[in-house]
Amino acid sequence: MKENVNIRETLLKEIAKCRSCRFCVDVCPTYQASSGVESLSAYGRLQIMKYLLNGILEFDDSLTFCLYSCLQCKRCEIVCKSKGQNLEICELIQLGRSLLSGKLVEGGRRATI
Amino acid sequence: MQQSKSLISQALSTLKGNMERTGDPLGFKKDYWTGWAEGLNLPREGETALLTARMYQMLPYVIQATDMVASVKPILPLLSVKAFSKMFEKAGSMTGEAVLRLKAKSARDVKDKGENVLKGIISALTKVGEHPAYLYETEPYSGVLLYDLGLEKHIAPHVKKVYRQLKTRGVKRVITVDPHTTFMLREVFPSYISNYDLEVLHYLELLSGKIEDLKARAGVKFPKEFVMHDSCVMTRDLGIVEQARQAAAGLGITLLEPENTRENTACCGGPVEYAYADLSGKISNIRIQELTDVCRNILVTCPICLINLMKYEKQMSIKVWDMGELLLAACKGKDTKYTER
Repeated sequence: MKENVNIRETLLKEIAKCRSCRFCVDVCPTYQASSGVESLSAYGRLQIMKYLLNGILEFDDSLTFCLYSCLQCKRCEIVCKSKGQNLEICELIQLGRSLLSGKLVEGGRRATI
Repeated sequence: MQQSKSLISQALSTLKGNMERTGDPLGFKKDYWTGWAEGLNLPREGETALLTARMYQMLPYVIQATDMVASVKPILPLLSVKAFSKMFEKAGSMTGEAVLRLKAKSARDVKDKGENVLKGIISALTKVGEHPAYLYETEPYSGVLLYDLGLEKHIAPHVKKVYRQLKTRGVKRVITVDPHTTFMLREVFPSYISNYDLEVLHYLELLSGKIEDLKARAGVKFPKEFVMHDSCVMTRDLGIVEQARQAAAGLGITLLEPENTRENTACCGGPVEYAYADLSGKISNIRIQELTDVCRNILVTCPICLINLMKYEKQMSIKVWDMGELLLAACKGKDTKYTER
C-alpha cells in the first residue's frame, strides 16, 4: 500500500514537469495510426494518468485502452529530450500500468483506482 | 476500445497464471524452445551462455494466441476472467506441437524461420570464436511481458529466480539474441538485484567487432540490397545502432535507410498486437509503406518486428529477413560446423 502511495506521488511529481509543448504528440505511432486522437499520444497519456490519479477521471474502458495501447517505443522521449525536458515518458506510463495492472487482475472490469 | 478493461484484465490474469504454473508466458509445459538446437551438440554448461529466452521460438504460438484473443473478442463481456484463463490454460496444457497443428503451414513456416535465425546466430558466433553454452530445457524466460504490462508484484520474484538459475549454472556472461531480453537483463534486472554481476552482450555487439570473419562465401544466395528496419528497443533503449550495419557490411550487403531510421526509427506496432490487433495493424501498415518505398527486402533484428512485418509478405510481394537468417545463409557450406569446437 505504501509502495503504491510512493508510485502515485512520483508519477504526479514527474508528470508536473511536462511543459505541455506537445512536440511528443505528432511522433507517437498510436497517435498517427488513430488519425490524431491526442489521448492516444504520449502527452495525452500523461494527462490521463494525472487526472486518474487525482480522481477527476474514472478508470474505464477508454482510459484502459489509452494506457495499455502505449507501445513503449520511446519515440516521444527523443523529442522530449531534444526540447530540453528529458522526461522518461514511457517509464512513467509503465509505472502507471504497475498501479493499474494489479487492480485489473483482482477486479477485472470492476477494477477501480 | 470497447471491453478494454475485460480484455486487459484477462490478458494479465492469463499471463500471471501461466507464469505461476509453468514459468512460461504461453503456459506450455513442453520445452518447445529447444528444437532449434537439436543436433548442434552445444555445451550445456559454461561461463558464457547463449540466452534465447524463447523469443524466436514463441513466434508461431504468439500468432495463434493473438488469433484466439481476436476470436473471443465478441464474447468477452460474457466470459469471466476465470473462464478466459481456463480456456488458455487448456490450450497450454496441450503440447505446443499439438496447438501448432491447428494452423499448420503458416505457423510451421514461422517456426522454421525462427529456428533458422537462431542457427544463424550460433554459427556466426562460432565463426568469430565464441562457443557459448546453451541451457536447453532449463533455459529461462526473461519476464519482459510481466515488466511491460506492469505486473510489478510478479516481476521481482521472477527476475530473482532467473538470476539465481543462471548463477547456479555457473554463468558469468550472457549472449542474447533479441533486444527485449537484452534490455531486461541489462537494464531491468540490476534494479531488482543488488550486486548484479552478469555481463550481458547482444550477439551483434560481438559480431560487429569481427566483421572480417563474417564475409559471405561467393555464391551465397541472398539479395544484396536491403532496407533496415531498426527495433525501438535496440536503438533507443540499448543504443545498438551501428553494429547491425557493420555486420551487414561484413556480409557484403548494401543497407538502405528508410524515412525514420536509427534512433528515430518508427515502431512496427508489435507490442500491442496481443490485445489491440486493429491498432497494431494500422501502425505496421504505416511502417511497411515507409520501408517498401525504399526496398522490397527488409532487414530486421528483432523477433517482434519480424513477425509483425512478415504479415505483409504475400500481400505486398516483399520479403522480411532477420539478420540471423542472413548469417545462416552466409555460414552454410563453410568449414565451420556448429558441432565442432
